[in-house]
Amino acid sequence: MKLTRREFFKQSAALSTATAAGIPATAGAANIVTDAALTKLQWSKAPCRFCGVGCGVNVAVRDGKVVATHGDINAEVNRGINCVKGYFLSKIMYGADRLTEPLLRMKDGKYDKNGELQPVSWDRAFDVMAEQFKKALRDKGPTSVGMFGSGQWTIWEGYAAAKLLKAGFRSNNIDPNARHCMASAVAGFMRTFGMDEPMGCYDDIENGQVFVLWGANMAEMHPILWSRITDRRLSSPQSRVVTLSVYENRSYDLADLTLTFRPQTDLAIMNYIANHIIRSGAVNRGFVDRHARFMVGNTDIGYGLRPENPLQKARNVADPGGGKPATFEEYAAFVSRYDLDSVAELSRVPRQRLEQLAQLYADPKTPVMSLFTMGFNQHTRGTWCSHLLYNLHLLTGKIAAPGNGPFSLTGQPSACGTAREVGTFSHRLPADMVVTNPKHRETAETIWKLPPGTIPDKPGYHAVQQNRMLKDGKLNAYWVMCNNNMQAAPNIVEEAWPGYRNPDNFIVVSDAYPTVTTVAADLVLPTAMWVEKEGAYGNAERRTQFWHQLVSAPGQARSDLWQIMEFSKRFRMEEVWPAELLDKAPNYRGKTLYDVLFRNGEVDKFPASQVEAGYANDEAKAFGFYVQKGLFEEYARFGRGHGHDLAPFDAYHQARGLRWPVVDGKETRWRYREGYDPYVKAGEDVNFYGMPDGKAVIYALPYEPAAEEPDKDYPFWLCTGRVLEHWHSGSMTRRVPELYRAFPDAVCYMHPDDARRLGLRRGDDIEISSRRGAMRTRVETRGRNKPPPGLIFVPWFDAGQLINKVTLDATCPISLQTDFKKCAVQIRKV
Amino acid sequence: MIRLLKRYWRVIRRPSVHYSLGFLTVGGFIGGVLFWGGFNTALEATNTEAFCIGCHEMHDNVYRELQPTIHFSNRSGVRATCPDCHVPHRWTAKIARKMQASKEVWGKIFGTVDTPEKFENMRLALAMNEWRRLKANNSLECRNCHDFQSMDFTRQSPRAQTAHSTSLASGERTCIDCHIGIAHRLPDLADAHRLAEKHGGPHVLPALVGGTPREEAQRQE
Amino acid sequence: MRILISVGLAALCATAALAQHIDNARGPVPVMEEHAPPPLQNPDNSDVRRQRAYAMQPPIIPHKIEGYQTDRNANRCMMCHARTRTEQSQAPMISVSHFTDRDGNFLAELSPRRYFCLQCHVPQVPVKPLVENRYIDVETMLRRGGSASTLPGRE
Repeated sequence: MKLTRREFFKQSAALSTATAAGIPATAGAANIVTDAALTKLQWSKAPCRFCGVGCGVNVAVRDGKVVATHGDINAEVNRGINCVKGYFLSKIMYGADRLTEPLLRMKDGKYDKNGELQPVSWDRAFDVMAEQFKKALRDKGPTSVGMFGSGQWTIWEGYAAAKLLKAGFRSNNIDPNARHCMASAVAGFMRTFGMDEPMGCYDDIENGQVFVLWGANMAEMHPILWSRITDRRLSSPQSRVVTLSVYENRSYDLADLTLTFRPQTDLAIMNYIANHIIRSGAVNRGFVDRHARFMVGNTDIGYGLRPENPLQKARNVADPGGGKPATFEEYAAFVSRYDLDSVAELSRVPRQRLEQLAQLYADPKTPVMSLFTMGFNQHTRGTWCSHLLYNLHLLTGKIAAPGNGPFSLTGQPSACGTAREVGTFSHRLPADMVVTNPKHRETAETIWKLPPGTIPDKPGYHAVQQNRMLKDGKLNAYWVMCNNNMQAAPNIVEEAWPGYRNPDNFIVVSDAYPTVTTVAADLVLPTAMWVEKEGAYGNAERRTQFWHQLVSAPGQARSDLWQIMEFSKRFRMEEVWPAELLDKAPNYRGKTLYDVLFRNGEVDKFPASQVEAGYANDEAKAFGFYVQKGLFEEYARFGRGHGHDLAPFDAYHQARGLRWPVVDGKETRWRYREGYDPYVKAGEDVNFYGMPDGKAVIYALPYEPAAEEPDKDYPFWLCTGRVLEHWHSGSMTRRVPELYRAFPDAVCYMHPDDARRLGLRRGDDIEISSRRGAMRTRVETRGRNKPPPGLIFVPWFDAGQLINKVTLDATCPISLQTDFKKCAVQIRKV
Repeated sequence: MIRLLKRYWRVIRRPSVHYSLGFLTVGGFIGGVLFWGGFNTALEATNTEAFCIGCHEMHDNVYRELQPTIHFSNRSGVRATCPDCHVPHRWTAKIARKMQASKEVWGKIFGTVDTPEKFENMRLALAMNEWRRLKANNSLECRNCHDFQSMDFTRQSPRAQTAHSTSLASGERTCIDCHIGIAHRLPDLADAHRLAEKHGGPHVLPALVGGTPREEAQRQE
Repeated sequence: MRILISVGLAALCATAALAQHIDNARGPVPVMEEHAPPPLQNPDNSDVRRQRAYAMQPPIIPHKIEGYQTDRNANRCMMCHARTRTEQSQAPMISVSHFTDRDGNFLAELSPRRYFCLQCHVPQVPVKPLVENRYIDVETMLRRGGSASTLPGRE
């Protein structure tokens, strides 16, 4: 951008000189267009559409189209660089098959579950949809309606959706795809610190010395943070990178120490390190005594499968999150059985490497930043993984300080901002509140101006449960927004597909492009994406970032926000609330959900005229007020004053994002630490104020085996994941020719010895099958991922090769997040 | 001492009493063949890939790295084994290399590279040995198979055509100057120059890691 | 005539069937069915430079890079694309942007934050795109656009 601009100025300067000298200036006479009025591009800022890193990009618009994008040099996160996906953002909106009109499954001009998807008007679409939702509400009540949302929703979209479901339909059956992504991290943070999200921030990288990757292939999944770690590692020789994974990947290329372990044994490795810290006298007793307490967690908690599964006959299946207080001595005794020899044998990591890693954690002089993501979160003991890692940082006091601390990386651009902070989970409310807490419900009802008792007190169906309930016919009117769950959900053969196609159910899918989920839908709603609407995302370091609408959506495509609000107009309060509840708010009689939820004097407080000059805002135009600002300011009331403070709306359109809590206009880089966090008083040093006693919890938790391990019939571990060039299910990136050509189709990464044993060659057509389903792909024995013998890796981005037909829908019983990293499969040549 | 030698000399000079000349000649010949055959068989046995990767040091490090490379799996299925590249084919040079190899036996016994970490620490020195040899012999072991005269440039990619028809053809560069790391992972190159000085200067390094091209190096010498 | 009409109708029906809603990223294969996956293919090795979509786009890699090592030990890409190598290799030099650190200072060598080339630069397998992309580059827009005065305010 710099160069172009410089060229542009140079050319304009030359032009004005020429004109002054009396030489005729013929713009465009040369083979370069030089006319300033033509070559000037309008640049605006936006966060990247893809992962949770939250890079800033500059977007150039010309004639209503995005023509260029590049890394924003003023964005703290990425300072001018993007990964290959980010650099091709310009093209993601222009795939030729954008959905531009609603499609309803019809036969003979009428809705029919077995009809074909055919174009209809928005009016017709919403008529049929409202009829189906009303029917479900009437016949079976609020638990029969539900929504599956997204960590790619903008903040206000998630907020409006949560409000519509929890307050409007009085159903907690709303869950985001972030459940597949970082629910375990949430559960870990909440149970240890009483507050969600990392204490540190990306600045830890430049301040850090040792970086340990626990089940995070940052080189591919968080490339720009990886470039910051690379920068640190290569420019400061004393720094070290340690990589732990179940297969060798690109992150090994920078590592000083690598540990390839047997799946699931990360639990044992962390307990061994804790044991090492205690035995070598490296426990920071001063820190532990003041800032931590101990608990022994319940064990034998099952695997989140359907209740009839034999694995659910576990002792503590009813109370997976329970536990009892313990002492340091009891904790020390608990971890003492995780000695070097037994853990080396179990994990198959050489003793020397385990020891080296343990020493890095134990050495009081070495700052350690631990980074984790899907390897930890997608784990039937994912919540435990978080705890066991926090234990290491708490025991040594290496936490909440520059360069020190556990850091949860997120997969989606607003997993934090929308899914977690807004609370679009089936058990949550905004600002870390939960539906099961009467005080929290009361707070929400007050802010939302609802009569007491509006919000149901039971958590709704979580992601995996939603598909099961669809199949069982208990969830009947279902809206999927901003995600591709037919490709992303586990066990689609047994659960997702039968659920969507169950004749009792009406499935609505809002998306920008056709996906395998829209193919399974009964009503498809065309959706505006990214800079076709005003938006806000919150990234992994608590940074909230805004962008303006820069272009218009094609055809009749509308934003998720418009869809949610417009749909709410179709419901009179009498149709959704029982008479007893309406009696408590008689002024709501005769009104619509739209009036009650969005014209409540808060959401509609700001006039459309406040939209920044020069920018369009289709929602403000449609509803007549500055919808996004109203929703944001109402939402921000949940968090202000108790550690979740957000800045005023307008501040975010100016800044390159701000990290909450934002107090007195200042962002917070390290929470819980005096001098950085305004909520920690002078003299306290550290205060984990999310907990009533200010103390973080160290949990004693064991190693327990995976839900399904390889055996004679299914001899391979299957691990799934992403690749650098594609975002999630590939619905955007596979429509960008350069990204598609960089990694066209999924493959099965396999050890050459395994291939030889099975009589397979590179490129062979194979069928991978599990006890649940099968899919076909091709053998890859070279390339970026090098699994050890006995394990295969298959990415899930490819709609043509659905690996989730094979995966197991086992979850962490506490976080309810699926383990996409482990199940047993067999391989057969086709 | 001299008397002793004289005595032996006399014994050897004295004609055989019990065995015929024919027997001695034929027997000597057969004995010679047996000895030579045995020696060579033993030598060749150590000159197989199976022997090389019999040690886990070779199997787990260099052999594993070799497998995904073009010298192990490729279109036509012709592949190079360890000795093809690492042991000279000419007999005298081979014997010289085998004598050097006795040092490697010590390495095996004392576990010089018996962990991946130790191997990694030695990697630069080990690579340097091979680079130096191939620079000095004009990549002889490459050329045992890749005959310059047999290269059809029109069957090569544009980049390869250019490089082979200029630098390689003129002798300015030799194979190893560019094709480093073609069969094994490269060592940490940060110390390459320092180590090269110990071996006589930058001309022992391949050009791609900053070495002096062969021709120029020869002029300097 | 009647025959013609029925043929026409059949053709219409066929078109309607073709217009069936499918995910182009999957193709016409029903979600619950499996088909032969596309074969593995080699990336383009023609060394022909490709036009960038816009000036700031990282160029794609027009040659194969199989086995090219880029790790803490060595960076194979820089053996040709480094400033000091380009005369011999005739490869394009890394962009000047690659010499700046996080704070915008020019360094003597490649900035370590740009060390892993493949984060931004990728080879290309010569396959037909799954879906046409209708992105229009700014140059095309300018050429098409006519005079400056007609541009602002145009829908």
